[in-house]
Amino acid sequence: MYLGIDVGGTHTDAVALDLSGPGVEVVAACKVKTRHDDLLGSVNEALERILRGVDRKLVRRLNLSTTLSTNAIVEGRAEDVGVLVVPGPGMDPSEYMLCKDFHVLDGAMDHRGNETARLDKAQCSAALEACRRDGVRAFALVGKFSVRNPLHENTLRHWLCHTKDEKGCERADFVTLGHHLGGRLNYPRRVASAYFNCAVWRLYNQFADAVEASLGRMGLGHVRVNVLKADGGTMPLAYSRKMPVQSIFSGPAASVMGIIALCEIIHDSVILDIGGTTTDIAVFADGAPLLERAGIEIGSHPTLVRALKVKSIGVGGDSALSMIGDLVRVGPRRLGPSMAEGGRHPTLTDALNCRGLCEVGDLEASRRGVAAYAESHTISPEKLAAQAVEAAARTIHEETRSLVAEINDRPVYTIHELIEGKRIVPRKLYLMGGPAKAMRMPLFGCFQLASEAPEHFAVANAIGAALTRTTTDVELFADTQKHVMFLPGLGHHENIPASYNLENAKRDAMNHLLAHLADLKLASDAERAEITHASSFNMVEGMNTVGRNIRVKCQIKPGVERTLR
Amino acid sequence: MRKAERSLGVVLFPAFDWAISPTHPEREERLLYTQDQLHEEGLFDVEGVREYKPDVATREDVERTHFCFPDVDAVTTRSHLVSAGGAIRAARLVMDKEAERAFALVRPPGHHAMKCVRGARGFCNVNIEAIMVEWLREHYGVRRVAIVDTDCHHGDGTQDIYWHDPDVLFISLHQDGRTIFPGTGFPIESGGPTARGRTINIPLPPGTGDQGVLTVMRELVLPLLAEFQPELVINSAGQDNHYTDPITDMKVSAQGYAELNALLNPDIAVLEGGYAIQGALPYVNLGICLAMAGMDYSALREPDYHAEALRQDERITAYVEELCRQMPRVYHDPPAAPENPRNGMREGDWWMRNKSIFYDTGGFQETQKEGLHLCGNCRGLLKIESQVDSLRCLGVEIPHGACTACQNLGHSIVEESQLKSAFRYVQLIDRVNKEYSRYGF
Repeated sequence: MYLGIDVGGTHTDAVALDLSGPGVEVVAACKVKTRHDDLLGSVNEALERILRGVDRKLVRRLNLSTTLSTNAIVEGRAEDVGVLVVPGPGMDPSEYMLCKDFHVLDGAMDHRGNETARLDKAQCSAALEACRRDGVRAFALVGKFSVRNPLHENTLRHWLCHTKDEKGCERADFVTLGHHLGGRLNYPRRVASAYFNCAVWRLYNQFADAVEASLGRMGLGHVRVNVLKADGGTMPLAYSRKMPVQSIFSGPAASVMGIIALCEIIHDSVILDIGGTTTDIAVFADGAPLLERAGIEIGSHPTLVRALKVKSIGVGGDSALSMIGDLVRVGPRRLGPSMAEGGRHPTLTDALNCRGLCEVGDLEASRRGVAAYAESHTISPEKLAAQAVEAAARTIHEETRSLVAEINDRPVYTIHELIEGKRIVPRKLYLMGGPAKAMRMPLFGCFQLASEAPEHFAVANAIGAALTRTTTDVELFADTQKHVMFLPGLGHHENIPASYNLENAKRDAMNHLLAHLADLKLASDAERAEITHASSFNMVEGMNTVGRNIRVKCQIKPGVERTLR
Repeated sequence: MRKAERSLGVVLFPAFDWAISPTHPEREERLLYTQDQLHEEGLFDVEGVREYKPDVATREDVERTHFCFPDVDAVTTRSHLVSAGGAIRAARLVMDKEAERAFALVRPPGHHAMKCVRGARGFCNVNIEAIMVEWLREHYGVRRVAIVDTDCHHGDGTQDIYWHDPDVLFISLHQDGRTIFPGTGFPIESGGPTARGRTINIPLPPGTGDQGVLTVMRELVLPLLAEFQPELVINSAGQDNHYTDPITDMKVSAQGYAELNALLNPDIAVLEGGYAIQGALPYVNLGICLAMAGMDYSALREPDYHAEALRQDERITAYVEELCRQMPRVYHDPPAAPENPRNGMREGDWWMRNKSIFYDTGGFQETQKEGLHLCGNCRGLLKIESQVDSLRCLGVEIPHGACTACQNLGHSIVEESQLKSAFRYVQLIDRVNKEYSRYGF
């Protein structure tokens, strides 16, 4: 038995799935109101409801997606962090100063990981002392090009804690080193990611403690708990305690995984999750969801947190209708619920009710509301409703087209990719969310593509959460001239011979990925491990090849364990 | 969120799967560290700065500019077409107002490629700026363009292509040709008879530093640009004046390059040379990107930067100042080069010159007989007879705004050459009718 819980902005959705048979059976599903001041209470309530009549001993896994970290940041409840940065020469780091205790330190590392300027111990000690005076207990230590050589970050940690022990120390409760966030290059993003990881750490861990405690009380102490990430994978709860930033914005990922569990997606496709306030658009290439190229933005700060590429637009069932001249518009404003559900301004849902495309709530209220609004703008109610539905479909269509165009315009770096480069040409639409069925035909009118709205679409996100696999990715960087190989995310480096080559690097990256999974006690996913990038550059000095600069990335492919198809 | 003062489109195409040979300076590794640096700085997260992928230039795009013998396919690879397409993409961004400025960080470079192409010269096969300019002229009706070539080597290819074009002001700053490839680029080279003073060569002594190039920019180049009033300013941005470049002898720093770019304020910059791929390119290219986007570049330094070591000799300073005093005369009152077959001389209605061009990469010599029809009503018809070993080829170009007589003359020369079969390959560039045709196989 697998449980899935998706704590959303409005509702907390939960499902219990029975996987003992040949297929996946939805044993129980529920929606409870999310209480933002008591997320744990919402989770507990949802759990209690789906577990009625279920033998708790049979439950093996709970996958949880929560808005906890996101909300903490949005609402400014994050804790103070000491951010120490070693930017070296380049762009001015003060432009991305994130908090009060932000210290810019001397020292520099170049693009190959050569130390070109040393840290100044007195200056670093003064910065650490200033943080301590402010009562800071969480530290983000981030150097430019630390993913090529983490020397400065490790040294700072040592000076902070006077110990090489990975666990905390007397002087700090929690430390995030930039290179542990992964091997990708982007210094401002690394700084922001490390900052956010520290800022939500305490709150997140308190929540994790509480979840574990209440699972114990409910007789679910034996259940493995995983937390959803924004890239469409999960991470074990214990691991998430060190990387809480990864739990941010995992809601859309749960939806996308839900659609994968419910529909067989093979071709280039578009997924539309039409909710109350927004429509989330995701794009699949050959049946696989696309990831954000760099990472997600948190509070307008770009980060390195891997995420599915999802575009959110302000068109949903509760979007208000408005008119500018003769033009009918839908959204992006929301002025309360639809009139069918007691609101005071006509919405898309009301227009859909009038068109006979759905039957939500009080149909008469929708008709009255649309008629009154139409009269005040000298247009017939039929025309207003029809044009509103059409406008919503057209907006979704245009935004989808521009998203696909943007994806197809993304940079590539080799002639092969450019000439043979795959263009995404969507061939099917998958619809989910409240108004999905009602919008199917109007959207078909715009897209002219086959479209499908699967069964269970109302709790697809919880189903997605329940079935999502644990994923992880590692990046390997090797420099045979310097005889080093380095996996920043794992903090692992070792010496290599001059003969080390791309094949060795691919093998090592893969082995480390699988070993990392084993550390997380997840040995079974080896067949889903894949190399996503591999390149090797000859480094030449004068007319002689002096070494190779090798980069390899591999990952456990995101996806769901089983499907309901 | 950081924001750029001016929007900047960067076409970054490192061509990670193409090289002349594994240890050639122009190889896969060349833009690797630049790419690392730009990504690590988070440049493309700055609001207003975006990365774009290149277009791929077509055969017609190349034939609009060059005479290619035997044909385009024989003298280019895909990477040349992508590199030229990268420059076109940059131009398109600016013309379509998607970005206020654009920088094509592409390879391979192109400024040694001449009007007539029979192989590679100095790592260049086709001239990516010229292909871009002619593409702009055909698609956007641009006419007056200034190309400022800041590569350490003389832009002899670009000079050759625009030698007879009064609407293109070509200014090249470079290390003195007596000390470096390709050995040309002296003030006396100032343009053909109808475009005299539209080619400005500024040779600088080895050892010239930031101070020298910035003086030239401020006191010489900017006033000339103000005088010429181009619709577009293009920077052939070679980064090999850097003090760490392995094949040149200049002393310019990344700060110097950024400031040079800020002064010049080009609409479009296109990467040319620059072979200090670790010590210079990441910093210089970042500096240029920041300058083009109107962002602060004051914190930018090379790891081994020492201002004292880069101070230029006083004699150089004096020389540069004298150069700045004398050079404006080349624009305003260009001295005529002595008439002889090498510089050019009048033969009836034609201005003829003989050229001998060495293709250093292929290791062969081409001889050319270039003729410009001195028409009086238009810029004049251009023809080039090219010979390598016994293989003779002919290129004829009917320029923009050619008079009917020159158009007819062009067509009849091509027709006649076919009847006489004196040439193995013949190419006609007809700018008036936008027709590019070739004959022979």
